[in-house]
Amino acid sequence: MNLNGVQIDDTFAEAFNMRGTRVIITAQNLKWAYHAASAMTGFATSVIGCGVEAGIERELSADETPDNRPGVSILMFAMGSKVLMQQLETRMGQCILTCPTAAAFNGVDSKMPEVEQISLGKHLRYFGDGYQTSKLIAGKRYWRIPVMDGEFLTEETTGMVRAIGGGNFLVLAASQPQALAACEAAIEAMKKVPNVIMPFPGGVVRSGSKVGSKYPKLFASSNDAFCPTLKGIVKTALSDDIESVMEIVIDGMTFEDIARSMKVGIEAACSLGSKGGIKRISAGNYGGKLGPHHFKLHEILK
Amino acid sequence: MTALTFTLKTKLQSKLNCSELTPDKLANLSIAQIKTLTLSSNKNAPKVKDFFDVSGDDASHIVFKNISQQCDYIGHHMKNGQITVEGNAGDFLGANMRGGQIICQGDVGDRLGDMMRRGLILIDGDAGAYCGSRMIAGTIGVYGKVGAYMGFALRRGTFLLTQTPATQATWLDCGTHTLPFLSLMFNSFKSLDSKFAKLSNTRVQRWMGDASQNGTGEILIVHR
Repeated sequence: MNLNGVQIDDTFAEAFNMRGTRVIITAQNLKWAYHAASAMTGFATSVIGCGVEAGIERELSADETPDNRPGVSILMFAMGSKVLMQQLETRMGQCILTCPTAAAFNGVDSKMPEVEQISLGKHLRYFGDGYQTSKLIAGKRYWRIPVMDGEFLTEETTGMVRAIGGGNFLVLAASQPQALAACEAAIEAMKKVPNVIMPFPGGVVRSGSKVGSKYPKLFASSNDAFCPTLKGIVKTALSDDIESVMEIVIDGMTFEDIARSMKVGIEAACSLGSKGGIKRISAGNYGGKLGPHHFKLHEILK
Repeated sequence: MTALTFTLKTKLQSKLNCSELTPDKLANLSIAQIKTLTLSSNKNAPKVKDFFDVSGDDASHIVFKNISQQCDYIGHHMKNGQITVEGNAGDFLGANMRGGQIICQGDVGDRLGDMMRRGLILIDGDAGAYCGSRMIAGTIGVYGKVGAYMGFALRRGTFLLTQTPATQATWLDCGTHTLPFLSLMFNSFKSLDSKFAKLSNTRVQRWMGDASQNGTGEILIVHR
């Protein structure tokens, strides 16, 4: 398969079951909503070292939020419900409670399948030291916690759903700047797709890994088959004309959401074409034995 | 479905206990069954049909029409649904309330929301003495004036007022603030047939009390 002169490998991305949630963060203005959301989704690139993978899904105008203030929606994913609940509470306490004017609301539609309610401000309320106040408004419970800038308002719970993490594709290019330019184009297009996040810095990851290592204590190490500087010495997956490889990882609420974002991302990356130095699009997998969800590139791009 | 409507057909000479006429108590009853209900547990208690014309079929929304301040205990211990009072209501409106909402488009008597634990009461007119007495939680809005001893022995809960009530030593002024939760609350009022539907200013003066009970309730005086 070939898209604008770029070869699309006949392979698939292998993804895993995760637990996901969405939180709506609002503030006095977008600047402070972003401060809160950036802190909450900071250090959340990979479950391997961060516990959760999180990112800003999109901006919300004042008429889209519960309290009619501008905001952003964030998505957060973890391998299990326990870690997700723990990380959500910690990040709410350290990043949203602390951020001037910020408020937090449930962002998951209760009609979604298998929604479970998890604590958003339910335990955080005790910060109010007895002066916290609960209000039941239109069937939803909120907590008002007195803080130094006024009142911190948070919904009691948010929804947790079954989600998918680890959708991905690799951009193989003739040079590092060209690989990055293609990934930037892909991320710009993918940001417009709802229900997904690309959790790595700027949405792009350069340190793709393989399972295992020569060092017994490490369970993952650099994906040498895709490292251009090792082309001559390892069993490489790269041809002579490829000098740089970058990966985009996608977590999403459903299989369809991830597939849609991969499609628009690959198409945007390929829009630079082989003349722009983009040579191949591939995907990362573990032979199909570890993850139950397989995103076949040729099927996605049909 | 139309709201279950109770229209008072006689001029009352004495107090009438309406505590049996709540959405949760009347759910799944036919009009014929409702008409024969007794209005209290007394042996010779009057029946609903002695005082009210009954129409409609949606017990989750009860409307009282043509009633007076002789009708007490409307919405007593109600757990869900809505009660709308078109006109004035008597004492103990929403007493012991456990959920749902009551909208009164006229004045109410004393002890409005006495021992209320949950729910919303909005009064377009004035309220009598001991409004929200012994209240445990919930929200009471009074658009008009409130009588003496408001929030007496209250533990928690919110009063929304548009006029400053009489000062009491056990209610402490906490200053003027812009409270973000009010925009959510005012949004939820917009669909209601009440003067509160017009409110939008989230800047309020906040008093806390009842200090004699270590209460953390609040009176919010909204600037219209």
